[in-house]
This record gives sequence, structure tokens and C-alpha cells, in this order.
Amino acid sequence: MLKNLAAKAIVPVGLTVTGFVIVCSILLYSYVKQDLIEDSIQREVLLGDIIVKATRFSMLTDQRESLRQTINDIGGQKGVEHVRIFNKKGVIMFSAHAEEVHQLVDMSAPGCIECHSGPVAAVHLGPMDQARNFVNAQGEPVLAITTPIYNEPNCSNGGCHFHSPDEKILGTLDIGMSQAPLIKSLATLRIRLIIFCLMVLVLTVGGVIALLQRNVLLPVRQLVHFADQVSRGNLEVSEPEGAEEVTSLAGNFKRLARRNLEADDNLRDLQDKLDALTRQIRERESGHKSGS
Amino acid sequence: MGLLRKSRRSPEAPERAGTATAKAGRERIRQLHALSHRGLWGLAAFLAVSLVAFNHSRLLPPLSDNLRAVLGKSPPTNLISIALVVYSFSALVLILSRMSTGQGKYKGWSHLAYLSAFYVFYLYGNVLDANFWAVFAAGVTIMALEHYQLWTFCTEAIRKEEERLAQAERLEKFKS
Repeated sequence: MLKNLAAKAIVPVGLTVTGFVIVCSILLYSYVKQDLIEDSIQREVLLGDIIVKATRFSMLTDQRESLRQTINDIGGQKGVEHVRIFNKKGVIMFSAHAEEVHQLVDMSAPGCIECHSGPVAAVHLGPMDQARNFVNAQGEPVLAITTPIYNEPNCSNGGCHFHSPDEKILGTLDIGMSQAPLIKSLATLRIRLIIFCLMVLVLTVGGVIALLQRNVLLPVRQLVHFADQVSRGNLEVSEPEGAEEVTSLAGNFKRLARRNLEADDNLRDLQDKLDALTRQIRERESGHKSGS
Repeated sequence: MGLLRKSRRSPEAPERAGTATAKAGRERIRQLHALSHRGLWGLAAFLAVSLVAFNHSRLLPPLSDNLRAVLGKSPPTNLISIALVVYSFSALVLILSRMSTGQGKYKGWSHLAYLSAFYVFYLYGNVLDANFWAVFAAGVTIMALEHYQLWTFCTEAIRKEEERLAQAERLEKFKS
């Protein structure tokens, strides 16, 4: 297992690069998701303020029918899950869903508890605290914002109105927007990041394999073939090219093999000479014996 | 030299020395086998910690308000995430450098402590659910690379030790 050069080089590089890219991608996705959610909340808070400002005159002059119509029109927009205004006792006074009107909101429900958790209700909340997430009856994720309707000088000083200047909040606007487009965008981003990780993995592993193949594996294979040929006495085989170290090693092999062959030749010559001398000596000895 | 001196004292001495060397070699191989599994234990320990972190809402008690008041405000999530990226990068670079120099050190246990600390920081900041997979991916990569580094070192060392052992046995046979 993992004995060849390619596997030994690819496993750590592939693991390191892929792992680090996955960590960065997950954190990037987390950052982008957080930014998109905060952006949605900011936009929704802004929308709530716009609605409160747009309906201010109708509230000031007690034009209930006009206010009801405005709320219905906003509630009919695509992506708006609900829009309602309730008084400070928690009774829904206006809603895009007619069946909700005059119903009492539970103060301990999400969206209310943020202000009503203590004995005295909080008057101001940050934009992130005004938001709440839930899933509606249709199974769609919804981001809702509660915007307080503050008591302004015109509300208490107006001749037609009865709000005391001591009252800080007169009611609350509650608007909920579907989060389906945001979820869809996040799913698309997730798929793109997964594809990006796979591409990085393929490029890293492919790059390492290609470089190893070209610069190490091929020259080593050629070197093995060269060494086989040289060890069989074939000195005509060409030296492998590519990596400098491999070429130098092949040159050294060749020199050693040539010296070895030369030494063998010299040994053979010496052996031949020795054999010839031995023969001559034996012939002389046999000549002497036959002469005597 | 020691062997020669011993051989003058008794004819069985070289044989005993050879047996002792073989025994020490076998012991070293056994130790290397055990060491090569240490990375897997580290990985398993990290997976166990991750399992607890994944099911933190069921397995861990919620932090009390008093404890939170004592410990203070949690660091910003972005800061923890930046620290995680910097830590992962440095850890991977250090493991690769150890791998390139052929060192047989295992630092998995300290990585386990660092990674657990990241889980704790995210948990304390109430953002563990959103960032669990980032720590998990970083941990699996680091612990797997630590295991691979130690495993390759041990495999290489075992091969060398076995060669040395075989050479010693051949020498012993030749002498006998």
C-alpha cells in the first residue's frame, strides 16, 4: 500500500490542499450566509420604517380604511408572508389576513419576548434583536421584523388624538418576508463551492501526477531500462534525459560498466597469455622428457 | 571491538550478543508497530470529541448565566474563524516540514487540544452549529496528515530494522 513514488507524493499534497480548501470554503460560506442574513434583516428593518412613515399620516388623521387598504396592498406583494399592526396591548388592529384582526398576540411568543422579557417592556432594540426566524404553515422559512411605532409630538399634540405624551410606544408593525430566495441563493453558493473544491482537488492531484510523471517517474523508468541494458553489456544504449540527476547517474553507470568490461577484457587477455605460457611450458617439458 | 573482546572470554559470547541484537531489533520493530497506530488513536479521539460537539445540545449542559458572567463576553466569531484558518495553515505547514525532514515526532495530542478549544470557543459564542463542519474538516485533515506522517516514518523505520535484522541473522549463520 502506498509504495510507489506517485502515491507517496500525491496523498499528503492532495490531503493538505483539499482539506485546507474545504475549511476555507466552509468558513467563506458561513461568512457569506451571515452577511446575507444580516443584509436581509437590515433591508427588512428599512422596509418596516418605510411602512411606518408611509402610514403615519393615515394614523395621525385616523383614516382607518386608508390604513387597512395600504396594509392589504403591501401584504399582497410577492414574498410578503404577513404584515400586521397591533396596539400596545397586543391586539392586532390591521392585518393583510383579515382573520387575524382583533386577535391577541402572545407576549411570550418570539418577536414579542425580546421587549417583554422583563417587568418593564424595552423601548429600543437593535436591528438584529428585532428579527425572528420561523417556518410558516406552508413550510417556508420566514424572517419577521417588529418595528415599534413611537409616540411623536404630533401624535399627542394633535387635536383629534388622545395619546398621552408619557406613552413611549403606541403600537408595533410586524412584517414577515419569505426567505425562500435567500435559501435558494445559499444552496447555489454551496453547490458552487463544492464544485470549486472538487476542481481544486482534481487540479492538485492531476498537477502533481503530471509533474511527477514528466520529471521523476519517466526518467526513473528510463534509468531502470538503461541500467538493465548496461548490465547486459550493451553500452550503445542512450542515456535517459530530463532530470539532471538521472542523466548524471546514468553517466556514472555507463563509466562503471565500461571500466568493468575493460577490466574483464584485460583479465581475459591475461588469462589467454597465461594459458599460452602454460602450454609452451608443458610442450617444452614434454620435449625434454622425450629427448632424454 | 567489544564482540572481539567477548569472544576471547567465551566461545558462546558472540552468539549471545547476536541473539541480544536480534531481540533488541524485534523489540524495536514491535515499538514501531505500536507507534504507527498512535495516529489512528488520535484520529479516533478527535472523532469522539467531534461527536460530542455535534450533539452538544443533547450531551452537554447549557452554560449558566453565572459562569458566563465570570468568563465574560465571547470573542467575535470572525476572529475565531480567522484564528482557525491561521492555525490550520500553520499546522499543515509544520506537519509537511516534519514529513520532509523525516522526523518521527507525533504532535496529534496537542492538535486535539487546540481543535477542542476551537469547539469550546464556538460553543461559548453560540455559533458552534454554523461552524462545526469547518473545525471538523480542519481536524480531520490535520489528524489524518499527522497519522500519515507517523505511519510513513514507522513503515520506513520497520523496513530498515528488518533489513538490519536479516543482515545480522545472515552474519550469525555464516559465523556458525
